[in-house]
Amino acid sequence: MINDFNYLRPGTLKEALAMYEEHDDCKVICGGQSLLIVMRQGMIAPENLLDIKRIKELDYIKFDKKEGLRIGATTTHRSIEKSDVVKKNYPVLVSMENKLASIQVRNWGTIGGNIAHADPAGDPAPVLIALKANIKVGSAKGDRTMPLEDFFVDYFETVLTKGELVLEIQVPPPEPKTGAAYQKFNLLESDMGVVAAAASVTLDGNGKCKDARIVLGNAGATPRRVKRAEELLVGKALKESLFAEAGKIASEDCEPVADIHASEEHRRHLLGVLTKRMLKQAWEQAKA
Amino acid sequence: MNKYTVINPHSEFKVINTHVHNIDGIAKVTGRATYTFDVKLPNMLYGKILRSPHPHAKILKIDYSRAMELPGVMGVVTGKEDTLGIKQGIWRRYQDLCDEQVLPVDKVRYIGEPVAAVAAITEEIAEKALDYIDVEYEVLPAVYEPLDAIKKEAPEIHEGFERNINVTRHIEWGDVEAAFEEADYIREDWFKCGGQAHMCMETRAAVSSYTPDGKLTIYHSNQSPYYMQGLMAGVLGMREGDIRVISTYVGGGFGGKFELDGAIFCSAVLSRKLFRPVKIVFTREEDFIATKRRTPMFYYVRTGVKKDGTFCAREAKVFTNGGAYTGMGATALYLTGFFHSFPYRWKAYRYDGYRVYTNTLPSTSMRGFGAPQAMFCSEQQIEWIAADLGLDPIDMRRKNSHHEGYEVPGQATIASCGIDQCYDEIRKWINSKGKLPANRAIGISACGFMSGGIFNWFDTPYSFSSAVVTINQDGTVELYVGAQEIGQGSNTTLAIICAETLGVKIEDIKVHSGDTDHCPPDLGAWGSRQTLMAGNAVKMAAEDAKKQLLEFAYAQSGYNIVYDLDIKDRWVHAIARPERGYDYGELVKKAIRGKDGQKIVGRGYYTPHRKGMISPAYSYMLQGVEVEVDEETGKIKLVDSMTAHDCGQPINHLGLIGQLEGAFSMAAGYGYLEYMPYEDGKLMNPNLVDYKMIRATEMPPANIAEIDTYEPEGPYGAKEAGEGLTNPTAAAIGNALFHRFGIQMKECPIRPEMILNALKEKKEKEKEKKGKK
Repeated sequence: MINDFNYLRPGTLKEALAMYEEHDDCKVICGGQSLLIVMRQGMIAPENLLDIKRIKELDYIKFDKKEGLRIGATTTHRSIEKSDVVKKNYPVLVSMENKLASIQVRNWGTIGGNIAHADPAGDPAPVLIALKANIKVGSAKGDRTMPLEDFFVDYFETVLTKGELVLEIQVPPPEPKTGAAYQKFNLLESDMGVVAAAASVTLDGNGKCKDARIVLGNAGATPRRVKRAEELLVGKALKESLFAEAGKIASEDCEPVADIHASEEHRRHLLGVLTKRMLKQAWEQAKA
Repeated sequence: MNKYTVINPHSEFKVINTHVHNIDGIAKVTGRATYTFDVKLPNMLYGKILRSPHPHAKILKIDYSRAMELPGVMGVVTGKEDTLGIKQGIWRRYQDLCDEQVLPVDKVRYIGEPVAAVAAITEEIAEKALDYIDVEYEVLPAVYEPLDAIKKEAPEIHEGFERNINVTRHIEWGDVEAAFEEADYIREDWFKCGGQAHMCMETRAAVSSYTPDGKLTIYHSNQSPYYMQGLMAGVLGMREGDIRVISTYVGGGFGGKFELDGAIFCSAVLSRKLFRPVKIVFTREEDFIATKRRTPMFYYVRTGVKKDGTFCAREAKVFTNGGAYTGMGATALYLTGFFHSFPYRWKAYRYDGYRVYTNTLPSTSMRGFGAPQAMFCSEQQIEWIAADLGLDPIDMRRKNSHHEGYEVPGQATIASCGIDQCYDEIRKWINSKGKLPANRAIGISACGFMSGGIFNWFDTPYSFSSAVVTINQDGTVELYVGAQEIGQGSNTTLAIICAETLGVKIEDIKVHSGDTDHCPPDLGAWGSRQTLMAGNAVKMAAEDAKKQLLEFAYAQSGYNIVYDLDIKDRWVHAIARPERGYDYGELVKKAIRGKDGQKIVGRGYYTPHRKGMISPAYSYMLQGVEVEVDEETGKIKLVDSMTAHDCGQPINHLGLIGQLEGAFSMAAGYGYLEYMPYEDGKLMNPNLVDYKMIRATEMPPANIAEIDTYEPEGPYGAKEAGEGLTNPTAAAIGNALFHRFGIQMKECPIRPEMILNALKEKKEKEKEKKGKK
């Protein structure tokens, strides 16, 4: 049962940041799709709840060819999924959102909430990190921006300090000859991933690999890049045997934890398979 | 698109097997249906249950004084202070199987078992109060698996049950040894079948109201109000007639809601102590950890056949994880052994079942009642035998199948059986598929099921089913049944039978069910009994009422007595001259006047007699599934499915489709998704995030071919539908994997990791073989 709490509903971002600064033991709620589950299970019982759902200032999707994509923190998953500019420029985000829980959840859940919740099984983070996204956070004292991969600290833990909110996700403009793909392994369509892998591949004029990113989901405490495998690919003419090798590295360079859904061994195996497959998919897109 | 084929539909019916919508549908979709969850009585308190954190422990002391100091807390009850400590069970004819106190007096036997209950003015306060009840336990050694619990040194869970063996069941016919001697080929396998949560949309819920006149009214979500009335009378030391159980709308049962649960028992005990209504609604977690579940089973199967595929002998040994109490587990233990022989003619058959107590959640009946486990083992082994002998698996099954008139020795006589046509239908479907993509394969599985149980372990003095039909002066009809609507559509099915029999329209019937004060007793909704048993009672009651009407009609008509009168579609007429008739409403008015103003009342009842050991009738079916498998990850996807089904005469066309689709999805979930892992007696996934069930996106098309047969014992020829189809699918999925990869899945649910391990093992074996060569 959910505990009693003080409900704070700021009207503006400024008000929100001031309130957040002021209140101790305060959790931010927006779509509530992650928070309410842990509150209902009694895992957390905050004294104060700061509801930023109605802060329209943070609900936007902006795209600019030079600047790239900017998504406000309170933008729902459904808005991202349905956005034409996202679909055109970052189709991998749409296909990821498509399988993020149910339509009902996507209608409420927000990108900022998902990222701030820092569940290593969350879908957006691996994809966004593969796309080299940054995150902007801010408090009453000021803003700061950092690569998204530096945002996560541990299970459900981020670099956010007291009074700091997630404000914006920034994705650089898509590079030419680039492909990106994401897949999670689960038994139910749209369920949380047992494990997941995102990959992006950029080719140079000669068709060789100019850049590659491999990011694993639920393979440790935070979304993690497989840098050893990325290095393996860069500068090479890509082929399937290299993807298999990268997959093997991915299955080694991870720290998945066994639970009732899969053993550690099975998770490592799946991470290898997904990495191999996503690299191939990304490569094929990049070639096209 | 789903296909639904009815082969040779009977055409003389006006209501039966027509497109009738669920008569409760509007109330439900508009939110007007009052479930127990919705019940609110004046002065009502809210109850919460304190549960055992230990799998096995003595309760030394319960101190709830601190809880009573909490403002808003009105009372606490414990087994020792507030109950008679009566050990109860649904097998009440057999005292040794009545082993559960619900609120135990001195010992807990599983994690989640009730220890005390509190009532407060709000649910929040009641929940908070649980933290202020201090219980002193003496923790005892515990045991969780049946094969551990039968060891000599295992802890004793119930006094006097040697090696924790709770029940044994034995079935045997023919000379088993001699029949094995005749076999050219013998195969033996061990299987392990998992548990499954009933997962009703409505969790267990009760509102009990005890009044100073010594009467108790209970709103309760259950499958059999009559059982609840009887069981509660027993544990409270009251008369049945002083207890009224109301269960107007019930959000699902699936075999998990016809025993006493913590909600009904604790709310009643609290209400009796406090003289105020008390409501207890289980959370989803409580429903997972503190109700009951499908019985996990270890199955040993040995089968002997001739080279040509003729079945000779089978023997099976089964050890079931009974959990802490008997529940309906004794029946599941018998039925799994019985249905393990289905749907085949074994010259000799022997089954030994052992239900073993463990310190885990008790296991009990669940849709399929022991048969899904039996079929998972049997139908896969049969597939492997056919492959070993190089025989066509459908032909081999067909050759050995039941047929009309077959007697299962000493157990049952098969009066109707459409399995032969089922084989044709499933073959047609397989052929229509042509060549499958490389990552897909089809698996099939056969089975049969009962149409209600004959056994009377509850020791009821009443008929198994009863019905009363009264006709109002305007021709509307009140149908009173003790049969229980739990979402399966029984009210609609019974209304259809009533309307067809009386010759009126479906909208003329108002069904009254789920109230022990106003409805005749009936054993309720379990074991697929209501269409046949309650259906027969309704038909008889409607015929009784109709006869009274036709007597008046006859007297007035002046016809020669060789003519037959009938009513169809509200039209009273001579069968030979249907065009000359008059309105049924007119007849009703006259008949009531003729009865000195009394309503027309018809009565009906049904109790099976001389129908063998198990059931008056059996349904038959074949399930086919097309499965896609990712060889690298082990992920299974169901792509398509086909059910060939013999339920006799379909009564409720739409209800039948819904029941078959629902059973299929539940069966598929049992086959590859629904998984209840325990660690040290604790369920590891008591929530709907971690317990995976089929959702709309996982559900493949459910194609259905209904075979036309006529069951002489059923109303209008009807028999079971909707439970039996829970049985075959897990094996069908296993068989698809066997055909695709040659792997044998001996454990369900079949999880991706198990598939990969089986593939690995197979590769290693092949390597070994090559190496030897």
